[in-house]
Amino acid sequence: MTESSGIEPRLSRPCRSGPRSHPRRSSSVAAAVRSENLVRRFGETRAVDGLSFEVGIGETFGLLGHNGAGKTTTIRLLNGALSRDAGEIEVLGLDPAVDGVAVRARTGVLTETPSLDERLSARENLSFYGRLYGVSGRRLDDQVTGLLTAFGLAERADDRVGGFSRGMKQRLALARTLLHEPDVLFLDEPTSSLDPVAAREVHDLVEGFRRDRRRTVVLTTHNLVEAQRLCDRVMIMEHGRALAIGSPAELARTVVASRTVDIEIPAEQRDAALGALRAAGFAGAKAAAGGLTVRVEDRDAIPIAVALLARADVPIYRVAELEPDLEAAYFALHGRSTDGTVQ
Amino acid sequence: MAVAAILQRDLTVVARSRAVSLPILLLPIVFFVLAPILLILGAAVIGNDLAEFEELVALMPEALRRDLSGLSASAQVIVWGLEYVFATFFLIVPLMTSAVIAADSFAGEKERKTLEALVYTPTSDLELYAGKLLAPWLAAVAVSTLGYVVFVTVASIVGGAIVGRPIALTPRWLLFVMVLAPGVAALAVGALVQVSARVRGFQEAYQLGGLVVLPLVALLLGQLTGVLYLDVPAVGLIAGIVWLAAAGMLALGYRSFRRERLLVQL
Repeated sequence: MTESSGIEPRLSRPCRSGPRSHPRRSSSVAAAVRSENLVRRFGETRAVDGLSFEVGIGETFGLLGHNGAGKTTTIRLLNGALSRDAGEIEVLGLDPAVDGVAVRARTGVLTETPSLDERLSARENLSFYGRLYGVSGRRLDDQVTGLLTAFGLAERADDRVGGFSRGMKQRLALARTLLHEPDVLFLDEPTSSLDPVAAREVHDLVEGFRRDRRRTVVLTTHNLVEAQRLCDRVMIMEHGRALAIGSPAELARTVVASRTVDIEIPAEQRDAALGALRAAGFAGAKAAAGGLTVRVEDRDAIPIAVALLARADVPIYRVAELEPDLEAAYFALHGRSTDGTVQ
Repeated sequence: MAVAAILQRDLTVVARSRAVSLPILLLPIVFFVLAPILLILGAAVIGNDLAEFEELVALMPEALRRDLSGLSASAQVIVWGLEYVFATFFLIVPLMTSAVIAADSFAGEKERKTLEALVYTPTSDLELYAGKLLAPWLAAVAVSTLGYVVFVTVASIVGGAIVGRPIALTPRWLLFVMVLAPGVAALAVGALVQVSARVRGFQEAYQLGGLVVLPLVALLLGQLTGVLYLDVPAVGLIAGIVWLAAAGMLALGYRSFRRERLLVQL
């Protein structure tokens, strides 16, 4: 399951007891998505290697990892587009390998590239996919018009998508995922090819989903700021395995062992201060804007560093402990998994 | 519903691409309008000075010679050309129409990266496959059937008086149009599914797909040299073989058109 992260994944309680009498239904649908020891191989490569996690109903859950970590494969397995080699999956109480069509009818996937037909208009694209999702007649017309309006595309509704900007295409693709009002949304790198303005638009839309809690969102990204902003919890992945699962703040607190302290001092005293600190064993002392930063492994070292500077007659204007963030946790975990030490 | 939606979408997309729709429009005009007019006018201009043609007819099978006997030399050229040889040429239309649309529908969709969203929809693999097969096949059958109607009309108006009856309104031609042409279209779609699974885009698929015309060329050569005589039983036999081959090819194509395989190829 998780390796040496120290963070236990949420899937610690038993999912079911005894053999299932009804193979298609889970004993509980409290989680929107549930995966246990999920494995998928491509040839000799284990793209997903024993993944276990749960996503609660209404939760926004992030899959984080470098390219090749297994994020997209996981989404495809959860959606039933790929079959698993081992393990178990339940999405909304259904097994995607058995009830793939039913799972896909209740989920929506936003792919990294918008995957829209550029020879069709925005309205035609939505109408086509609406029909594939089983929406028809008046309801389809209403859904298409409503979504085009909600996503700011009503004025270009009958223009061919080939002339749209990337941001507009991605908004249209996101609108497409909502046509059938899915219970679970899988967003696969939704902003990776967008400029900051378009990415912000997509962030705002996803934040809207998170606020109203009507939908479960599973988001893959390698943008740590995006994950920190949008996700209730994240799973950090590497080589198809989960390194850790938790809320961004929880991961940062637990995974990042070292503390960073920002100390504001006069610029002309900086070299002397750095010299004094390093001589005393504070190897993690570095120059920074407005003074210096000191990385310590133990909070008790902070007053020692401050006292050292005071004894060296360095005026101290401000001392602030920096909160570790998801980025720090991410790199700490990846460092730990590759060379066994926290970087 | 899903099959109809995919079919409608694919036909709309084809109609909006000049690279795809232009050959589909031009080919029938050349084959069904220009070619019969030129052949009939040529035969009429040459008149009865057709010694070389008579040498060619002498090489033809007995049954064909019987069909031509009693006709004027011009009428013999028209019947030989439009009712006998042209029926095989005609198969190029359903073949190329289905090949070009199938190349756009399968390889083109892969190239345009529109396939990924499609595989995440609540359609079964069979619905996806059927929807995508139907667009090229139905278009090819529609174009060849309509083309045949135009061809019979044009040829009969221009050359009916020379032959003394409507042209190409024969059981053999009807077998070509109703049974063999749909089979050839299905075979071409099946071949293009295979080709599309192995190439990156429309152009590559279209170029490789052009090879499906080779068996037709062989058939035509056999016919022109008098080795083959395509009477009704022979056409029926060829149609049976073509449909069997098409069924095999389409079944094989279904194996390569599973979501799982498509996603791995993306």
